[in-house]
Amino acid sequence: MPCDQALRLTSIVLASASFVGLVLGASLPGWLIFLTASALLVALSRTGNVTAITSVVRLVTLSPTTWNVLVLSGFLGFWIDSLWISGDLLTSGIHFLLVLMIIKLFNLQHRRDYVHLFAISLVAILAAASLTSELWYFPIFLAYMLAGVWTLLLFQLTKDAAVPSAAMRREPEPLESNRDVTPKLFWLANGLAAATFGLTLVIFFVIPRVSAGFYQKGYGENIRTSGFSNTVDLGSIGPIKRDRSVVMRVELPDRQAHEVGRFYLRGLAFDRYDGRSWANQLSHRRSLSEDSPETFTLRGSQSHKPSPHGPALRQHIQLEPLDTPVLFAAPFAESINGRFPAIQADVTGALYLPFPSSTRIEYSAVSRSNTVAPADLQPQPAAYPELFIRHFLQMPVQSERIAALARDVAESKQTIYEKAVAIQDHLSSHYRYSLDAPLAAQAHPLEEFLFDRKTGYCEHYATAMVMMLRAIGIPARLVTGFLATEWNEYGNYYVVRQQDAHAWVEVHLPHSGWVMMDPTPADGDSPGGTLPAWHTVQSMLDSVRLRWNRFFVQYSATDQLAVMRDLQTGSASVRLRTLDSLAAFLRPLTDAFETGIDSMTNGGLPHVVKVVAILLAGCGGVAWLVWARPWNWPRRSTGAAGNEQAIVQLYRRMLRQLERRGIRKPAAMPPLQFIRIIQAQWSTAGTAVASITELYCRARFGRVPLTREELHRAQETFHQLTSLSRS
Amino acid sequence: MMNSTQPIRAIHENISRVIKGKPQVIELTLVALLARGHLLLEDVPGVGKTTLAHSLARSLDCSFKRIQFTSDLLPSDIVGVSIFNRQKQAFEFMPGPIFANIVLADEINRTTPKTQSSLLEAMSEAQISVDNQTYPLNQPFMVIATQNPAEYHGTFPLPESQLDRFLMRLRIGYPSPDEEKKVLDRPQSLHPAEDLQPVLAAQDVLDLQAQVDKVFMEESLTEYLLSIVQATRQSELVSLGVSTRGALALSRAVKALALVRGRNYCLPDDIKELAPTVLSHRIMVARTQGLRQRSFEQAERIIQDLVESVPVPV
Repeated sequence: MPCDQALRLTSIVLASASFVGLVLGASLPGWLIFLTASALLVALSRTGNVTAITSVVRLVTLSPTTWNVLVLSGFLGFWIDSLWISGDLLTSGIHFLLVLMIIKLFNLQHRRDYVHLFAISLVAILAAASLTSELWYFPIFLAYMLAGVWTLLLFQLTKDAAVPSAAMRREPEPLESNRDVTPKLFWLANGLAAATFGLTLVIFFVIPRVSAGFYQKGYGENIRTSGFSNTVDLGSIGPIKRDRSVVMRVELPDRQAHEVGRFYLRGLAFDRYDGRSWANQLSHRRSLSEDSPETFTLRGSQSHKPSPHGPALRQHIQLEPLDTPVLFAAPFAESINGRFPAIQADVTGALYLPFPSSTRIEYSAVSRSNTVAPADLQPQPAAYPELFIRHFLQMPVQSERIAALARDVAESKQTIYEKAVAIQDHLSSHYRYSLDAPLAAQAHPLEEFLFDRKTGYCEHYATAMVMMLRAIGIPARLVTGFLATEWNEYGNYYVVRQQDAHAWVEVHLPHSGWVMMDPTPADGDSPGGTLPAWHTVQSMLDSVRLRWNRFFVQYSATDQLAVMRDLQTGSASVRLRTLDSLAAFLRPLTDAFETGIDSMTNGGLPHVVKVVAILLAGCGGVAWLVWARPWNWPRRSTGAAGNEQAIVQLYRRMLRQLERRGIRKPAAMPPLQFIRIIQAQWSTAGTAVASITELYCRARFGRVPLTREELHRAQETFHQLTSLSRS
Repeated sequence: MMNSTQPIRAIHENISRVIKGKPQVIELTLVALLARGHLLLEDVPGVGKTTLAHSLARSLDCSFKRIQFTSDLLPSDIVGVSIFNRQKQAFEFMPGPIFANIVLADEINRTTPKTQSSLLEAMSEAQISVDNQTYPLNQPFMVIATQNPAEYHGTFPLPESQLDRFLMRLRIGYPSPDEEKKVLDRPQSLHPAEDLQPVLAAQDVLDLQAQVDKVFMEESLTEYLLSIVQATRQSELVSLGVSTRGALALSRAVKALALVRGRNYCLPDDIKELAPTVLSHRIMVARTQGLRQRSFEQAERIIQDLVESVPVPV
């Protein structure tokens, strides 16, 4: 493919990439998408010389003036758009950008048009970047960068070919090039793109950042949750149990993949039940103290004295934007680490942000679950404070049936714990799990569940257990949160979806404090049915998405600092290892050197000398590079064709050099005639120019390959010429 | 190509012993010879047109004939005639002066178009037909025709389509005073060319002509050449541009020039240099450009200007 055609193609690919970015990032009007897409298609088919389209396009070819008028009216439209139609500068700016792109695509003839298209695409991809932080941006950005590198490279190549004609003609020159995209060029360009990408990555991770996604599409579109407000109607969790949208992703750094099982994420606790709905009357929040930067610790978070005894569990949680300010963690959270202005907690240990986040947030939590203290396994009378009686033994209306059932179930048991377990077992074994339970409509949904229908889901189970416990005088509360079951084996984390929303029970034991219990049957609440066919692909994609969010979107200055610290602490070992291998490699040399020195000084050679020797060798290498300029050497592997290219390049450089000197070769002047001009105007350079021109003519027009010596000589002559022109 | 440089240089030196101070004319004559072309010399009498043709023929060890074109010259005076041989009781073809290697057609515009065309036909076909018999001409075969641009009375100017048969149109021009002095100082003889010794055999010339075909013209140069031809067709100053035959002629001449200069490949310089000489008699200058007075210079200047507008491949 000739270079000019390839340039056209890559320019269109470039424009397409930024266009797709805009389409996915912003909500554009349909007609604009359609117009731009068809403009791209037409431009593409013109590249491929589809004759029908080319002839049609020729019919509607407009004069430059008309195009200018179009651009001006587009600009006018932009102001009207920004003031009245969309009323937003960014949105209307994007619209205007696309209009400009369409116009350029139809008018892609001169070199400056390619420059314009490049600039438009750049602005578009930047706009797309500010509109989103989603994963799809990454492949689009990759495509953009690849096409960008190609376009710049090809632009430069065709520029070299077009320079003489540019000097000649007054009007903007059309693109012309007789060069082809060779396989070598192909790999060079792709390699360059890869190198650019690597460099971008380095820059991305190194330079300090502000934030991402200023104008994210997501705001105002937080995921609607259920069960995490101060009042929760019984049965309100049911409808969302079929929603597969992801709510959060939880990594457990201390846990191995084989240890995973059901994983509870605690949200809110409720104390008051009025027969239809649960309410949290202890929702008075207080701000947590910030111990160290970004670490918030709950002190005395339990409303009762015993401290949790379980092992500490660390979690990294990535929370999607929800409509609730509640933060989730495994029970019971001890400390939260995250970049938040403040974190609040209520008496029940629920955690809140000051307000719901509109973006995805990330935090770590340390939790410690309560285990049943041995003292609680002994039968003991329990006395509860006033607060407990008022809140955790409250019942809406004394239902005798419920109390009778509870007594019936727990009668034979001695301790509080055993009684609770008995009720839990009774519920989970005698009732059927089903999401199709329209109990919320009933006047007494709990009685309906316990005695008539005997079908329900987590909320019903949990509510029934709490009520039964309270009926026999055991303090209990309802907890809502998520029960994670989906383990992503590619990224080693839990995917928590809306359907994982769950309700369970916390029972208060005199010595252990609040202990978690779940009456819902173990298999009942897991996401039902078979896994979707695309499960594997989805899991993989999801794990990539997590990484994307973790390492690109959420990548922060803190992470940068952490990396730097790692590098610093790691550098000592790295340094040692490098030196060791270097020493092993150089051992024969250093040994000989050492023995030589030893014989002279009779002393051991310190390590420093070795290092100094290596440094000197390195400096010598750099000096040699600077002096010998191996990159100016003729390329060996490329053979005759490469030599021809090299001498043609050299000739062009010579022409530029002479131009700087004030002697310009007119486009219509053949090379030998130009020698005579040089000899007349700058006689000292005459021989140098003549000798380069002679070799150039031979290789360029005679296709007589130059030997390496000849090329080397030509390069030396060129350097002489350069120094001549400097003097 | 080393073997071509030596004989060409020898023949060049040989001719320049007679034609003083005109190395370019000699070079172009050799180009025409090697490109299997014919030459139209347009110049005033007495500047050495005949001598040039003669010395070329002498240097090549080739036969040379001169035909003085007059208004009563007949085609048979050129190609020959069949005469009845009484002894053999049959017609016998008596070859005319065209059966020579180098033919000088002096003042070609003085004869009638009929006679002119018989010569031009022979030039392009390299053979002649008389009485249903075809007779091949000698090889190498080259016609050097002359025209006197100063006289117009009683002439039949060659139409452009006929001029096309000549590879190039040349002027010899007056020699510089120094060179002219050398001519005068030379021992006077009726035919200075008679003293020349041949340096090449006819067969050598044919070999050299075959070598011209092998001279390499790079693709971008072919495009350059064609864009010059294209420019003549698009120029407003020209009412009839250069034909494909003209482009072919230029290409052949350029290759021959490269060979004459000791190269086996062409350069942009060759094309640019030869374009006015090879193309100027193949175009019709537009009527808007004034009278056809001195049209030779005018056409040449137009071609030169056009060539200056075509970018050279780098």
